[in-house]
Amino acid sequence: MTNIILIHLLPVIVIALRGDIRSSMIVTTLSIALLALYIPPTLSLIVHEMIYIWSFIIFYIVGYIITIQAKRIHLNSMKEILYHTLSHDLKTPLSSIMGNATFLVETHPLDPALRYKALSQIIESSRQMNRLISSLLDSARLQDTQTPLKKEWCDLQDLIALALREFRSDVLHERVVFRIENDIPLFFGDSSLLMRLFVNLIDNALKYSDNAKAIEISITVSKEKLQILFFNECPPIPQEELDNLFKKFYRAGNTADISGSGIGLSIARDITRAHHGEIRAFSSDHGIRIEVTLPILKRPASLDMETL
Amino acid sequence: MKPHQLILIVEDDEAISRLLQLAFTQQGHRTLLAKNKQSALREIQTRSPDIILLDLGLPDGDGKELIRTIRSQLRIPIIIVSARSDEEEIISALDEGADDYVTKPFSTNELFARVRSAQRRFLVHNTSSSIITCDVLQIDIEQFTFTKESLPIKLTPTEFNLLKFLMLNRNQVLTHSKILKEVWGIGYQHEMQYLRTYINALRKKIEPNLTSPTYIQTELGIGYRFVCNNPN
Repeated sequence: MTNIILIHLLPVIVIALRGDIRSSMIVTTLSIALLALYIPPTLSLIVHEMIYIWSFIIFYIVGYIITIQAKRIHLNSMKEILYHTLSHDLKTPLSSIMGNATFLVETHPLDPALRYKALSQIIESSRQMNRLISSLLDSARLQDTQTPLKKEWCDLQDLIALALREFRSDVLHERVVFRIENDIPLFFGDSSLLMRLFVNLIDNALKYSDNAKAIEISITVSKEKLQILFFNECPPIPQEELDNLFKKFYRAGNTADISGSGIGLSIARDITRAHHGEIRAFSSDHGIRIEVTLPILKRPASLDMETL
Repeated sequence: MKPHQLILIVEDDEAISRLLQLAFTQQGHRTLLAKNKQSALREIQTRSPDIILLDLGLPDGDGKELIRTIRSQLRIPIIIVSARSDEEEIISALDEGADDYVTKPFSTNELFARVRSAQRRFLVHNTSSSIITCDVLQIDIEQFTFTKESLPIKLTPTEFNLLKFLMLNRNQVLTHSKILKEVWGIGYQHEMQYLRTYINALRKKIEPNLTSPTYIQTELGIGYRFVCNNPN
């Protein structure tokens, strides 16, 4: 009998390790119900002996304790990942700023081209840091369930234009190709979060593609949804890595030296989800395509446009 | 910017105030520094500055109240230097009478441009001419006509009124509610859909490149700014 009880405890432990209290409790109840069928009177859920009742209670206690512990471990490892990513992503641009600044102060380079290069580096790294911090602030705003989205009528094309302004024009090098259908309706959403979404996707496209290659952005509209596509050329990425791309702080395997990609995409996913949309990555012949789909939940009232 | 101006910097952060002092001194101006509201008020009374740069997050109280006090006494440009993400603070500071704003982190070029255009507005009281030219755009308020590169462009009455309001207040940040109130009327302050739709329509008619607008620039969460680099 003890063996049978132990066997029934096994699924409880396995599920509890996932750290989800609801599924732990469901599995515990199920395995107790199955166990009750073995216990005399067999094939009924009625149990007479006190000792069995006690073991059932122990089942619940074991399930509960393991779930709580597992949850704590999960949280800690999340914190650790966050901590590492943050310190890496913030320290990289900061080192560049400090390095270039001390280089300028201590060695007084006389070559104006060299000075210009160091100063440009400082500005670019500061901008990168500013984008990251803004992203984190927006992400914190999303996590806080107390502050609802500030929804208003947004012009998506305008927001993409604003997102492009966050980058220095010599970084963009006129690499961005914009394709847009003529009449994109206004979208009811949080404008600053949507702009952050576009900044992060442009940032990602710039990081993962060669310097001279074009980045394509397009918006298409159908009856129920708006679709925004970002495409950049890059070496192929396996589908499983693409699926992981939006997980919190994931970084594609071969890109250890590219900073800040992990946080950006997971925040992009959070922003899309907050607008009840979907974000997906596809590998096509010679690049990667990120597709944001936003459902149209509220339509602008038709205005009586004046005629000329 | 006019030379040899006296600039009052109201800022409690030392790194920022040092940068501002350096930047303006380099341009041949003199600077005064106030770290809180009290000393700002004292400097305003005794030294009468020409321009005020104001950080909204002061340790001893509300920057908006300070704007109200300054506005009741002096006609000088007030530029807000603000931390990001407090759009509502910026909007209410502009409503109180501040002339423009920059958000941290900002480039000094951006700040100089804001100061310059705010100052220009205080110099020019009212233009007697009914024609305003910006680059290749020209609007004639009395004749109700508008041309781009000397070619007439047809605008609907609302488009015309909107463009007129923007061009009359060129290089100045205009909040959503201010534009709606002025162009559509009281009671329309929250009709963002109208504003976005007509801005979009105007841009299609006047902007050379919609991906990076030259004239009508969006100030996210705040409003719009009509940029006019070479006015007549």
